[in-house]
Amino acid sequence: MAQSILILLIVVPLAFAAFLAWMPRKHAPAIALMGTSLAALLGVYTALIFDWNLSGRFQLENTVQWLPSLGVALQVGVDGVSLLLVLLTLLLGPICVLCSVTAIRERIKTYYGWLLVLQAAMTGVFVARDLILFYVCFEFTLVPMFILISLYGSTNRRRAAIKFFLYTFTGSIIALAGLVYVAWFAAGRALPGSSGWTFDLDILMRAAAELPPSTQAWVLGALLLGFAVKVPLFPLHTWLPLAHTEAPTAGSVILAGVLLKLGTYGIFRLAIPFAPAAFAEYAPMLAGLSIVGILYGGLICWVQTDVKKLVAYSSVAHLGFCVLGMTAGNEIGLTGSVLYMINHGLSTGALFLLIGMIYERYHTRDMAKLGGLAARMPVWSTFMVFFVMASVGLPGLNGFISEVMCLLGAFQASDNWGSGAWGSVADAMPGATPGLLGPWYAAIAGVGMIIAAMYLLQLTGKVVWGPLVEPTGHGHGGRDHGGHGLGGHDSAEHSTAAASHAGGHGAGGADASHTATSDKPHLPTDLTPREIGILVPLAVLCLALGLYPKPVLYAIDGSVAQTANLIREAGALKARPAGSPQVEPAPVEGAPAESDGKASAMAEEAAGSVAAGDAVTGGPGR
Amino acid sequence: MTATELSTFTLTLASLVQESGHAAPAHSEPAAGGMATLLVPVFTLLGTVLCGLFAAFKVKSKLPAWTTVLLLAASFAAIVYTYATGQGTTSPVIAHGFDWISITWGEFGSAGHGHGIAANFSFYVDALTLLWMLFVTGLGTLIALYASEYMSHDVGAGYCRFFAAFNLFVFSMSCLVMADNFLLLYLGWEGVGLCSYLLIGYFYKKPSAVAAAKKAFIVNRIGDLGLALGVFLIYVQFGSVEYKAVFAEAGRYIDAARAGHFDQIPWQVQLIPLLLMVGAFGKSAQLPLYVWLPDAMEGPTPVSALIHAATMVTAGVYLVARSYPLFLCSETALPVVAWVGTLTALLAATIGMAQFDIKRIMAYSTVSQLGYMFAGLGVLTSTGAAFHVLTHAFFKALLFLCCGAVMHGFAGQLDLRKLSGVWKIPGWKVVSVGMLIGCANLSGFPLTPGFFSKDMILAEAFVTPGMAAIGWLLLLTAGLTAYYTFRVFFRVFVGPVEYEPGDELHAHDDHGHDGHAEAHGTVHGHGDSHGHSAATGNHGHAGHFHPHAPGWAINTVLAILATLSIVAAGLYFMGDHGGWAANMVHHSTAALPPAPADHAAESGAGHAHGSFLGMDPHAVMYYVSAVVGFIGIGVAFWLHFAGRTTAATSRADALVPKLGAVARAAQHKWYVDEIYDFLLVKPLWVLSHIFHLIDALLVDGLVDFAGWVPRTVGKVIRPAQSGLLHGYAIGMAGGLAVLLLIVLLAVT
Repeated sequence: MAQSILILLIVVPLAFAAFLAWMPRKHAPAIALMGTSLAALLGVYTALIFDWNLSGRFQLENTVQWLPSLGVALQVGVDGVSLLLVLLTLLLGPICVLCSVTAIRERIKTYYGWLLVLQAAMTGVFVARDLILFYVCFEFTLVPMFILISLYGSTNRRRAAIKFFLYTFTGSIIALAGLVYVAWFAAGRALPGSSGWTFDLDILMRAAAELPPSTQAWVLGALLLGFAVKVPLFPLHTWLPLAHTEAPTAGSVILAGVLLKLGTYGIFRLAIPFAPAAFAEYAPMLAGLSIVGILYGGLICWVQTDVKKLVAYSSVAHLGFCVLGMTAGNEIGLTGSVLYMINHGLSTGALFLLIGMIYERYHTRDMAKLGGLAARMPVWSTFMVFFVMASVGLPGLNGFISEVMCLLGAFQASDNWGSGAWGSVADAMPGATPGLLGPWYAAIAGVGMIIAAMYLLQLTGKVVWGPLVEPTGHGHGGRDHGGHGLGGHDSAEHSTAAASHAGGHGAGGADASHTATSDKPHLPTDLTPREIGILVPLAVLCLALGLYPKPVLYAIDGSVAQTANLIREAGALKARPAGSPQVEPAPVEGAPAESDGKASAMAEEAAGSVAAGDAVTGGPGR
Repeated sequence: MTATELSTFTLTLASLVQESGHAAPAHSEPAAGGMATLLVPVFTLLGTVLCGLFAAFKVKSKLPAWTTVLLLAASFAAIVYTYATGQGTTSPVIAHGFDWISITWGEFGSAGHGHGIAANFSFYVDALTLLWMLFVTGLGTLIALYASEYMSHDVGAGYCRFFAAFNLFVFSMSCLVMADNFLLLYLGWEGVGLCSYLLIGYFYKKPSAVAAAKKAFIVNRIGDLGLALGVFLIYVQFGSVEYKAVFAEAGRYIDAARAGHFDQIPWQVQLIPLLLMVGAFGKSAQLPLYVWLPDAMEGPTPVSALIHAATMVTAGVYLVARSYPLFLCSETALPVVAWVGTLTALLAATIGMAQFDIKRIMAYSTVSQLGYMFAGLGVLTSTGAAFHVLTHAFFKALLFLCCGAVMHGFAGQLDLRKLSGVWKIPGWKVVSVGMLIGCANLSGFPLTPGFFSKDMILAEAFVTPGMAAIGWLLLLTAGLTAYYTFRVFFRVFVGPVEYEPGDELHAHDDHGHDGHAEAHGTVHGHGDSHGHSAATGNHGHAGHFHPHAPGWAINTVLAILATLSIVAAGLYFMGDHGGWAANMVHHSTAALPPAPADHAAESGAGHAHGSFLGMDPHAVMYYVSAVVGFIGIGVAFWLHFAGRTTAATSRADALVPKLGAVARAAQHKWYVDEIYDFLLVKPLWVLSHIFHLIDALLVDGLVDFAGWVPRTVGKVIRPAQSGLLHGYAIGMAGGLAVLLLIVLLAVT
């Protein structure tokens, strides 16, 4: 079992999806819950058998030959980073099933079936060690998501779904071109260990180190176009608010929790290793875009009137921090970035769950119609304030550590701290790393911390605190009812639809005097035990990661250090005159036995760690 | 869990402390020790959790209050124990809790730099820490006791919520003050901000309270950004965020700095304090970030006393004092601190003179006194600043709690034109005497603790070269302070007995006063409405109103604080030079290192550099400031007491029209809020809307356009568009097959 555990993680949800299709519809939620729970349990098992001391290496690798003549194989394996993301995916699985139980009441077999398929595809992306498997899974996430949005979304769902599909699909096609080019290039080099074509990521990465710089830039551009759409990086983000707003709750949770991370994971896993020098060179541009996303996305959040759209735009801002940390290219920035992927999945996922719970009760997402719910729903409000604070980046909760590390990483990463180019930072600044960012990047992005407080407290100030406001006549009408009265910026087709529906009782809502007030929603006023049960694990994780992130930091340190070295050495290579012999291409595989290093690091850490000034021995020469 | 069980638990924990405490050695370099301090976060976090559980189990008693009082008293005991056993009092000790953000990248870090960061959950216990923690936990206990009675009409969910946040506040404050690194300090820093947010917004149905809470958090976040960047720069410069490493490294530059050779110090090092002080100014409500503090008075009064007067707002002073070695390394930092503090002190005092809401007056006086503390730090008397923090904590808590007692007893009435002669009302003696002692302290009445601490700052301002202007401005502010302080006392506590209840009159019987205040608008909305039924305060709609005299809990706390606000003067005479506070500061990072030999004249006995009108400032400042204080009190006496026959009117009324626009502007707080709104908030709001439009029309519009072109083309080949969802999947699989085919062809 240990050998095929990763494949099982993909197969189990698929098997349950097939089983579900075959069983009567009333059992669909239960089967889906069983499937996701079983997968989650297998995930726990995986975490147990994974050797966390060697988290920088790929483990539990397994290969199932598929098309040997083409070098295509189902090759799987995980390191610390991908395993954490797999675990996040598996955790969100049962949560998404549980949060849909009351919300989805039509076509439930299709719904839960595709939910399971989606989970399999997402897991596949994170465990893939083979380009074809990666890309197939990466692309295949689109289909279930498209169906979830277009069939189970709210008013404007068709448009949102089509836009989501076409937008991300277009991006991925461009990325595919880049990936295929790398494979073609590798096939041409026929490095040892490969015979002709191969899609083994390790081999491709080693081969990619030989890419000439100008080609690297093209490869990077292609990959980034695909991944940046998914992230989404400004200005490729406009599908996101629409998709998020229209998606059913579980869809939003998966979108925010995992699907966006496919983009950042793609950058981390493919774009950087395939084109490290180009990444180092274009880091300032990418960082600039992410900073624009942070500020621009944040300010747009501030003027939203639709709670769900607000949280959706906040993802644009948040993921900006994530990409910023990655562009820093140093250990602290990359660690922050990887942590951000997980933390954002937890806190923003929880925010979408909370908003979904409100939507189920009041069928509105309009901030003007919701207010002071603390008086009505104290439990919900407590969770809301908690997760808002996690999202704001309050220290002690998870968001802080990743945010501060992303910013610190960007802050450090400047050649100007010292005397000059890559690799020669002056000894006087022991905390500086080479790079092309610097304090200004961190300072400007840091304004995003203030803006985050502005929009998230705007949200709590309106919805949680203040005088009690509830939409009149909530609780009647179907799924389509809720859309009316969104922010006035929405498309004309939407307003017409809303007006036609809401016409009966006055679109204003607040003063419409009609009889439906007695028509209570079928859910109790405050949260049910089921809903609390969904939120508690997320809250516990937010707190645990905020107060004791050490296990997670150590789970990713090896992979992060390798990636940082890759970028640093590529950058140094580039900064030197062409043909300079001292630096050899970055070794990607066969990371030196890290267990010893870790043991000594553990021993040192109490002593205060940051070994200031001892200028460390040439890294490349190991 | 009952109170008895809790106390047993506490005792058990205390015995544990005994054991661990004895093991602590006292070395000259940071050694392990002071383990008892770790109990403070444990107790307070436990309190938070318990209060949360009480809320969940719908406890409708004063159990949360007693739990809190007990746990905070235990925390205080832990600190007293640490102090009494001399752990950290002479040299710092480090109490390691657990690893927090702690990682090294071992041999992978090829560049050799920045390959690790350590910010652990451990405490740096030195004299400065203990000084702060003694009054934080001590006052916390007292104010929790006070709040047990003050909040009694909210018993139930609100009561639990209040005390949960209260505990969480002391937890955060202990992290802030005791952290051994800048990131844990930052945790406490933002943690107290969260608690402040939650407690200002305690009456959450009141829009003004919600707005004030939001404002406090956001304005503080602006400061926090400065602090964060300062911490980043510290990390980049020194490779660590731990105090022991940072201050040891900074020590390299101290000699050059004390000798005035700032050109030998890298600009990055000099920039650090300038960034840190932004954070300090945010948290401690200094220019230009002070605007949140007056609004924070929307919170319940115990909160105003603890968080927004005595403890949290002194965090900025703490930060500067803690990072004094860094501040000394910068040529500009301390002068900037001094000037910002002085100008804030003066500005806030002028606003305080023109307000009618006694709680707001106290809020502005807090801003003003915090300015004194910063000025003290800026003119190189960290001792004076620390002593003023301590005395201010006592007397300002006392003043707020007295105001709170009045507010509580008179149904939320805070307008000094609607209250008069409280002293003479039966049952109000303790409050009135407490108020008198507090006012005497605040106005620098001779021989009060506030007099001595303020004097230390004033004298040092005249001593320090180039700071005489600051000394004069602070002296002027002292006079204004004496005036507005006693204005409150003469208006509210003496004079004819006359009162009018506030807006919360009917609140006690129905659903809590938050709900009621909502219906009536804000409590403090009566800017110019004096005259209405003022002369008939005892009659009219208040005919059946009887002020509700404070009970034993409030009176006990007031009596203790009043006593402390007198006997704290004794601290000034403890020890040889500068008293107890000086002794504490000298054993901490806030100590002023001696100047190098060639600059010896600056310290020591000489004092040759500055003088007060040709006299030694240290010798004459007692008399000068006493005179200034008496003048202020005298003016207040003449304007607001002598010959006053009603609550609403006084001789000052005749003066206001003569001052015209100036008086009006001061009443409107110099329109600072309006200016900020016009210059910052509104433009940002407009910009956000523009961005929103751009996003919908331009960024998304381009995408839609790009999508529209193929769709239009696609109409021609419509049959290919099956519209079936599964078609996409099939299409993709097909595409992939084609791709593989191409690859296959390429290979063979």
